[in-house]
Amino acid sequence: MATITGLAAAWIAFSLLVWAYGESPREIAGQLFEGTWGTAYGAGQVLFKATPLLFTGIAVDVALRAGLFNIGAEGQLTMASLAAATIGARLAPSAPTWMALPLVMIVAIEAGALWAMVPAILRARFGAHEVISTIMMNRIADACVGLAFGYGLAQAGTVRTADIVPGARLARLDAFFPALHGSAVSLALLIAIATAFAAHAWLSRTRVGREIVLVGQNPIACAAERIPVRRRLAQAMIVSGAIAGLAAFATVLGYKGYFESGLGAGAGFGGLAVALLGRGHPVGLTLAAILFGTLQQGGLAINGRVPMEVMDVLQGVVIAAVALADSRVRDALLRRGVS
Amino acid sequence: MPALRVVNLTKSFGAVQAVRGVTLAFEAGEIHAVVGENGAGKSTLLKMAAGIATPDAGHVEIFDAKLAPHDAAEAIARGVGMVQQHFALIGVFTALENMVLGAEPVAALGRLDMARAREKAAAVGRELGVELPLDAPAETLGVGDRQRLEIARALYRDARVLILDEPTAVLTPAEAEALYATLRRLADTGKAIVVVTHKLDEVRDFADVASVMRRGELVSPAPRVVVRGGDGRELAEAIMGGALPDELAPRQKTLADVRLRVRDVRLGRALRGVSFDVRGGEIVGVAGVEGNGQRELVRVLAGLEARDAGDVAPEREGLSIVHEDRTREGLVLDATLRDNLLLGELSRFSRAGVLDAPAIERAAAERLAHARVVPDDLDARAKALSGGNQQKIVVQRALARTRADDGPRVLVVAHPTRGVDLGAGRAIHDALLDAASRGVAVLVISSDLHELRALADRILVMARGRIAAELSPSSTDRELGEAMLGTAHA
Repeated sequence: MATITGLAAAWIAFSLLVWAYGESPREIAGQLFEGTWGTAYGAGQVLFKATPLLFTGIAVDVALRAGLFNIGAEGQLTMASLAAATIGARLAPSAPTWMALPLVMIVAIEAGALWAMVPAILRARFGAHEVISTIMMNRIADACVGLAFGYGLAQAGTVRTADIVPGARLARLDAFFPALHGSAVSLALLIAIATAFAAHAWLSRTRVGREIVLVGQNPIACAAERIPVRRRLAQAMIVSGAIAGLAAFATVLGYKGYFESGLGAGAGFGGLAVALLGRGHPVGLTLAAILFGTLQQGGLAINGRVPMEVMDVLQGVVIAAVALADSRVRDALLRRGVS
Repeated sequence: MPALRVVNLTKSFGAVQAVRGVTLAFEAGEIHAVVGENGAGKSTLLKMAAGIATPDAGHVEIFDAKLAPHDAAEAIARGVGMVQQHFALIGVFTALENMVLGAEPVAALGRLDMARAREKAAAVGRELGVELPLDAPAETLGVGDRQRLEIARALYRDARVLILDEPTAVLTPAEAEALYATLRRLADTGKAIVVVTHKLDEVRDFADVASVMRRGELVSPAPRVVVRGGDGRELAEAIMGGALPDELAPRQKTLADVRLRVRDVRLGRALRGVSFDVRGGEIVGVAGVEGNGQRELVRVLAGLEARDAGDVAPEREGLSIVHEDRTREGLVLDATLRDNLLLGELSRFSRAGVLDAPAIERAAAERLAHARVVPDDLDARAKALSGGNQQKIVVQRALARTRADDGPRVLVVAHPTRGVDLGAGRAIHDALLDAASRGVAVLVISSDLHELRALADRILVMARGRIAAELSPSSTDRELGEAMLGTAHA
């Protein structure tokens, strides 16, 4: 229901905006489609844009299931990308894929988890609201990037790290599907989809995961039956950060091959929208990420006739409408600390 | 002519009928207590009387004129003021500003006339017989002063009927006594005072008449019980509802060793040194007027509240507990019956952290079969069940744990049949008796004396955070009632 409301609101906003620019909503919508799903290249670009959103969407979703609102995917993704790029560049150039890729993956997971651990502990130990502390951690992440570049992690005279070794790179999909030629979509997309299903399985089939969901639904009853509520909250936040860290696959390993400041910016917040629209299901999350990927890519396609910022407005409308219609968000924002 | 009369008031919240067809009159010059346990509908009834809540049916008469439109502004204009349980004061405003808020005297050009306000506030203070610190910010006042300020606020609006919801809940005994002195003074000047409370001793000591509510209805025999000048006996009988005890089936019992040992447990003002033992095979009942420490006793046993002092053996892991508030503490309403039936036990149903789905299915299905609930579906959400069926789920969960080989052998049950129909209640009672015959030590906390009589081998009566008396289930209503009021306090 919330999803339908959001999409309907987006369509109305789109029509009004395009009309205000003196264009025909129908024509622009046609152009939007042509530039996204109309060609194999366009579709590839949509999936490329959807990939980081899917990672962060899963991350936000895991926290949301525990009743936590992880606004910090942005910072977790940034720190993970920086760490993955730094380590990936220091490996021996001849390092084989089977060694380099898992190693860099672990570094990314650790960095994301570590960045989420601060809000997790503040929440579990002191009841500090995670919305505040994760926003804070986002700003700290930005500052850390500047600091790291200033202290020699960047190549001289640039704001980017050195290239990672070839063994840590993920192949683009156009290597397997020539029709996608030129689009940047990579194997990271498949890893993201697999992660969505893995996270779902973790939440439903393991003790910790199942208890996290129960704690999200009623922490008081869980505490009364001796489920360690605080620990489960902290675990949910840390796993959320680890998954956000995996988004380094989409930014560094599958795309740029290095980290530069601003890489992946916006994906953390986009993940909030994906999680709200995805409704706690791997297929839903994947479709939601593809929808927002479509909007982003579509903005480029219509840029000649109406400003691409129209698509940003649309994203905002979808997020706001879905958020308002979603009681979990209201609860997460209004709830006070569980003692 | 009564000052305030409610006629056939009815109000439901969803499927719950909070108040069912209550007709009651409140007279000027009297302190009228409305008594009953939590959830009996007292607050809802009086919120409707004050125009704050809208009734589904029935109406309110103020000095014989029907309250229309039915809203708070109209009720206030007609002289009905209510002091709610949670104060509605603005902390940074002074007492005077709070008092006049929304009824400010206005001079020419809309300027506030604070001089006139101060004059009237002083008059209200004289009426109350206390000096209010008019220029102190409300947040700097103590609880007692804040409450007097709320009362003054109602009087400032010329209230002739004053309704107070649980006014002493936040007060110390001395403050409570001072409050009632103030209320008496107001009653003597011809105001009608209505006090909602569940503290029977206050009613006995300070009220003129009392009305008892249970499950949304007035309890017979009389809607108005005259308290003043009586010995509390009539009140105790009204609380019991004049009902007869059930026939007791004699129970074979063999008492084992002490399984639950509670020694001198203390928690703030709620528990002031509680000690008792429960043996295996024994059912011990805990009776008492709500708010005398029963809730806190369960919470301490459950480990939800850290006790200040005393010993409990075994600690939480050795106890199986049915909590008082099934929708908050007992169930995860959005989760399935499967998850709820095994809540907190997943460690027993997982290997290396991965859930053993077939084992979970078997255990949950077995418990569900014992619970005999509708719908008979493990995938149903707990919130889809009626209150009675929800109660069967939490009771069966606790019972199932006492059946497990390595499970606890002590069962603590708070209000086992609250909100449950007779048939389901009977089934729960049988299950508790069965647990005792298996050698489990059972502690039952209940405000239903019939229930305690039917189940318990002995009844502990709690009053003011202590075990005030230990009685046999064959004691008379009067003996139990007096112990609950604390008059039999040794």
